[in-house]
Amino acid sequence: MVLRFREEYLQEMQAAISAEEDLADVNRVLAGEAQAFEGIVRRWQGPLVNMAWRYCRDRGRAEEMAQEAFLRAWRGLASWRRESSFSTWLFALAANVFRSELQRFPAVNVPLEDVAEPAGPATQHEGLTERRTQEAVRRAVLALPTRYREPMVLYYFHEMDVAAAARTMGLPEGTMKARLARGRELLRKRFPQLNEQSAPLKSSTLQPKKEVLQ
Amino acid sequence: MKPNVNLETDHDANDVIDRILAAEEELVPSSGFLAATMERVRDEAACPKPIPFPWLRALPGIVLAAGVLGWCGFELARVVLVNAREISFTQLHLTATAGRALEPAGWVAAALAVSMLSWLFARRLAGRSGLL
Repeated sequence: MVLRFREEYLQEMQAAISAEEDLADVNRVLAGEAQAFEGIVRRWQGPLVNMAWRYCRDRGRAEEMAQEAFLRAWRGLASWRRESSFSTWLFALAANVFRSELQRFPAVNVPLEDVAEPAGPATQHEGLTERRTQEAVRRAVLALPTRYREPMVLYYFHEMDVAAAARTMGLPEGTMKARLARGRELLRKRFPQLNEQSAPLKSSTLQPKKEVLQ
Repeated sequence: MKPNVNLETDHDANDVIDRILAAEEELVPSSGFLAATMERVRDEAACPKPIPFPWLRALPGIVLAAGVLGWCGFELARVVLVNAREISFTQLHLTATAGRALEPAGWVAAALAVSMLSWLFARRLAGRSGLL
């Protein structure tokens, strides 16, 4: 319990420091010091590349899209009104960039009903089947209709924080919740075996956000 | 007929979906990402700022154009109203005077529509290329 509070406190401290650093860097950039933008890219490259990855599931393209988002942020830095946090502004801008990039050149997605279902547990190793199911579910998110896909992507990107996802999309929280519910419903219909798997998955120890080195 | 809903099962399935999607693996940006991004930013910073549209210089032209358009609209409305009085309910075709008066107005309207469409098309193209 104490450890959890300490962790939360450290996270809050880290966020506050990052916000101060962002503000200082933005001020320096606006004063004409282009090099100060490096601090912003350094702090936010991970989140933006990961956010882009969730939109297209293509590493190369995710980096291109994240780079484009940084460039747009650089151009529009003066338009950040400081009413919301820098991260909220940056994520909203990035979401717009990713959305329009994917409209211009859509990611290669298969229709939801064509997302490959994993083989039955009897024929495959259990762990492998579980991993395949997880990957199929993640891919199926990209096959959802756009209005449900983006809320799903942003909700899980923001570590299941409806308010943060709603702010990024510029939607009311109620609308976001309704779209999330519908998105989940479509996934449940596509993967009825998720109901059967709920028990073993509940007991399994899925590591949240484990890092993958290149 | 009530839909077949099993709240408990749906809740469990939602839980599974949450666990799967929240446990997404995290990518580490490639080592050259920061340098490549900063290079593009520096290139952009080195470019001269785009020349702003000279609103002050264009203002007289805009006012003049608006005046001409307004005058055309007023004249057109006046001609139509004057001729409309001459048309009886049984006479559905336009009188020769009204026809002659409306002929150039039609061309003006067509020219304006073409200009508007070409402007919209140009904006759309510019938007796609990222210029706007």
